[in-house]
Amino acid sequence: MTSLLELDGIAIRYGGNTVLSGLTLSIDSGEIVGLLGPNGSGKSTVLNAVTGFTPLASGSIRFDGRRIDPLAPHRIAQRGIRRTFQLPSMPTRMSVLELTMAASSEHHQLCAALLRGRATRRIEHATHARASALLEQLKLTAVAHLPAASISGGQKKLLSIACAMMTEPKLLLLDEPTAGVHPNLRGELIDELRRIHGLGVTLVVIEHDMHFIRELCERCVVLDRGAAIANCKPAELDKNRRVLDAYLGRAHRTARPLEAP
Amino acid sequence: MSSFLIHLLTLVCLYAMMALGLNLQAGYAGMVNFGFIAFAGLGAYAAGIASQLGWPLPAALLLALAAAAVLAVATARLGRQLSSDYWGIATLAIAEILRTVALNESWLTGGAQGIGGIRPLFADLPSPWRDLAFLALAALCLALVYGGYARIIHSRFGRALKVMREETSLAVCFGYDPVSLKMRASVAAALPAALAGGLLTYYISYVGPDVMVPSETFALWTIVMVGGLGSNLGVLLGGLLVQSVYSFAPFLKDWLGVSSDLAGAVRLGLVGLMLLACLLWRPRGLLPERLEALS
Amino acid sequence: MLQFLLDVLIRTSDLLLVSVGLSTLYSLIRFPNVAHVQYAMLGAFLSLAGQRAGLPLGLAAALSCVLVGCLAVLLNIFVFMRLLRSGSAVAMIGSLAVSLIAVALVLSTAGSRPLQYTQDISAPLTLDGVAVSSAQAGSIACGALTLLIFSVLLYRTNLGRSMRALASNRALALASGIDANRVTNLITFASGVLAALGGTMLGLTESVHVNLGNNLLIPVFSAAILGGLGNPLGAAAGALLIALAETLVINVDFGSLVGRSMQFFPVAYVSAVSFLILLVTLMVRPYGIFDREVRRV
Repeated sequence: MTSLLELDGIAIRYGGNTVLSGLTLSIDSGEIVGLLGPNGSGKSTVLNAVTGFTPLASGSIRFDGRRIDPLAPHRIAQRGIRRTFQLPSMPTRMSVLELTMAASSEHHQLCAALLRGRATRRIEHATHARASALLEQLKLTAVAHLPAASISGGQKKLLSIACAMMTEPKLLLLDEPTAGVHPNLRGELIDELRRIHGLGVTLVVIEHDMHFIRELCERCVVLDRGAAIANCKPAELDKNRRVLDAYLGRAHRTARPLEAP
Repeated sequence: MSSFLIHLLTLVCLYAMMALGLNLQAGYAGMVNFGFIAFAGLGAYAAGIASQLGWPLPAALLLALAAAAVLAVATARLGRQLSSDYWGIATLAIAEILRTVALNESWLTGGAQGIGGIRPLFADLPSPWRDLAFLALAALCLALVYGGYARIIHSRFGRALKVMREETSLAVCFGYDPVSLKMRASVAAALPAALAGGLLTYYISYVGPDVMVPSETFALWTIVMVGGLGSNLGVLLGGLLVQSVYSFAPFLKDWLGVSSDLAGAVRLGLVGLMLLACLLWRPRGLLPERLEALS
Repeated sequence: MLQFLLDVLIRTSDLLLVSVGLSTLYSLIRFPNVAHVQYAMLGAFLSLAGQRAGLPLGLAAALSCVLVGCLAVLLNIFVFMRLLRSGSAVAMIGSLAVSLIAVALVLSTAGSRPLQYTQDISAPLTLDGVAVSSAQAGSIACGALTLLIFSVLLYRTNLGRSMRALASNRALALASGIDANRVTNLITFASGVLAALGGTMLGLTESVHVNLGNNLLIPVFSAAILGGLGNPLGAAAGALLIALAETLVINVDFGSLVGRSMQFFPVAYVSAVSFLILLVTLMVRPYGIFDREVRRV
């Protein structure tokens, strides 16, 4: 198993605050890794750093052996990294299907659009078919023609995953995928993510739902105040003293309140 | 009366072309441009200058397109550094500066007198046919632009713009470069405006600094907002409405014997009122952009 | 040298009041109100109308300021606040529409010729060989005094404190019981008064004409943005800088650079100067020189 993502001593500062300090982390190709930690420990910041939305104060990030931290975020995405957001914000003037079709950024030349030759039409057709298939897989076909912003929070999470899968990414970063999703759907979500993993996608999942983590992840990294304090299997977490200290020292949140349907 | 109608429809076609461009840049690329008329103005002057130098029509129009494309790229690059509010003011200022150049550099632009005596198109045809032929040309160009834009909007490029205008972070996550998208959309928006400006020069056989006064941009904004930002069909309706108002104002001078100041003021005031009324009561326009039905 | 300084001061006072008003208002309403420069134009015309109706100039000016202030508040309540619900771009377009209507109104009633206030022809003061008309001296004095009063208002009164609280953290300010509407309306009134006063002064030192507002647009916005929108004293500094740059460019003899005996910068392009300064500054410091602009959330 080759190392797909390497974070080497990265540090990030917001104003005077050091959010991440000297974090070193390695994710191998084909793994499912959980990223845990109390609120404010820097989990979302790690995702923002990898995807290029936050600049590093020091350190480097390598993907597939090449450095990506100096790159612009859209270039990092083009390398095969996709992410979902904790609170997905969707366009109001695009349908679910349209947005999913838009999720692949290849072949968006202006001239091709104008000329609309045979190759362009073929690609459009293929995009439409792929998007429809993904929506069906994620049980979103019923809402395919509704405005993307009007669907429920849980459906938006599923839509994010559909969009991410349009391009067959190598690495998928998920920011709290179960928050706001009905508990009944969580099992389906786990199945879906396992299926995606089976297609060869490496997953990094930020989560608070320990049941979800235990079911899905092979390995967990725990952050506390910007540094990694544990790197082990999920089952070993509750025996790890540093993890217990980090969590029991604060109000421990086990599950998010359900989002109203 | 019918020659007036032909004249009105010709202007509708030309201004609708310009407004379609603004609709693309502001409605799809999300770039609020308050100096948009500069593209048309550049096109008008390029055509006028080229025609004076003896260039044939296609070459003159090509110069017009090239000039507008350069300006589009320059102003889009400016947008990288500036936030959108400031960019709006910056475009207003750029258009004003260009107009000042046109007003002062008489060696190039004829100064306040402008460039006149441009040989009109279809000059060999007898009277009603000449105007009809020009109307046909303008309508054809409008149809081509409209069709071209429809293709762009229903393509992957159009979808990329739609994501970017509302959720830029999402667009970036999908792998789109907002700067590149905006730049290409700006050029695509500027070209029809320049073409319309060039054609306008050939239509009235004249180009002067007044082609670029700020109130012309506001008229374009009124056309776009009345129809509905993002709606190309709305632009056609808006163009018809605004141009009708515009064209009736000079009649006030004849019918009521008012001064040209007053006629000009009424024109401005009516356009301003239309825009304000639209914004207050129909902010989405009369024919708002609808969700695309994908089969 | 003294003439140069005087020119700078006069130009600064031309721009000062309108820029400060604009900048202050932005911190509360969060969109660039292009109609603001037309308040100056309206103020100048109303003062003129008052004087022509027989009032002494001071009273006419005061009345005009109050009227424009009220107009600003009414427009804010009935137009701009409504438009802001659809976004700041729509509000900005709306302010353009209001601008158009204002210009159209004045054009239709007063025509396009420049007009003058009736002033006593008094001999200009002379300082060290430099002539200052009483209007110019009055304008500078008025500008400085108003700035002082406004600063006191902003930094020493409750109203000013409430305004600054609202500007920096709206949610917290509202939670602590500040009546946002009252504060916004009062500050809108004040900025309208400032604009009208600035316009009247400009009408005194130059002339009253329908393009008075349009000509102010680029320099005033440049000054306000340079100082950082939401930072009124910064706007004053911005006005000074723009005035300095404009006066410098007009007065410097570029002949030596170009190899000719006398080569001056064409006056018509003066507004390009302030615009260029603005552009260059924004590239380096996107939030104004003092980097204390109120960021829009």
